[in-house]
Amino acid sequence: MHIPIWFWMAIIVLLTWGIAGLFQKLATNHLSAESTTVCLVIGFFLLCPWLYPQESLWMYSTRALLFSLLSALLNALGAWAMLKAMRHGGKASIVVPFTALYPIVTFFLSPAVLHEPVSLLQAAGVLCGLIAVVLLST
Amino acid sequence: MPIPEVLRAKWFWYSLLCVFLMGGWTIFSKIASSEISAPTMQFLYPFGWVPVAVACLWTRGFRLEKSPRGILYGIAVGVLGGIGGLAFFAAYRTGGNTSAISAATGMYPLITVVLAVLILREKLTWLHVVGLLFAAAAFLLFSL
Repeated sequence: MHIPIWFWMAIIVLLTWGIAGLFQKLATNHLSAESTTVCLVIGFFLLCPWLYPQESLWMYSTRALLFSLLSALLNALGAWAMLKAMRHGGKASIVVPFTALYPIVTFFLSPAVLHEPVSLLQAAGVLCGLIAVVLLST
Repeated sequence: MPIPEVLRAKWFWYSLLCVFLMGGWTIFSKIASSEISAPTMQFLYPFGWVPVAVACLWTRGFRLEKSPRGILYGIAVGVLGGIGGLAFFAAYRTGGNTSAISAATGMYPLITVVLAVLILREKLTWLHVVGLLFAAAAFLLFSL
């Protein structure tokens, strides 16, 4: 059976972000959402030496660079909102699954914005995922 | 009609805000990562976070709480988030469907729920268990 590469990448995402979800709650037990956001950026910058691009950044289009920074900006705001939810008493086992509802936004936006087709299996997967998120948030 | 208690909780509205922001994030990530490699995307990421971090510092009068444990956990979140982000962008670069990748990687709460129950002693109801089964089914469907 052929398992696509993106599946293995997704496993790494699941593990790292899954553990990060726990640490977010532990951090907000001691810090404000704002201070935790600052610490997150420090953590991101710690990885930069290993990620320093081999190629010049100017070889990319302005559009791609702009979208990259915009996506990071939205991600930062989303993370801040999640930390704020935890700081306001949200449990990690509720807030983290709840905020994972974001694929529904992607699911509806990607055919319109990116012109990507959505298969029935993916739709079923999204449906199962959403039911899971709702049940986990109950 | 009484307003459900959850709708009066601040955490609920902050979580909802997070959902919409993260939805936009996946779309912008897809567009950018179609041209920019995963490591370069992750290299650029902290720079996109800087305005939010500066705004956060400003709201706190440019002072952080002095909690070594909290700071350590916060930085660990950044490092883990960065490694996960690298894998996330790499997944997009494989040319896989955005909806499927977003939804599959969106299953990471399964790990958090398990850890929260084991380490933070948060309670898991039977509805949570059914939810975990649905999530597992979803992950299998995305991989087909």
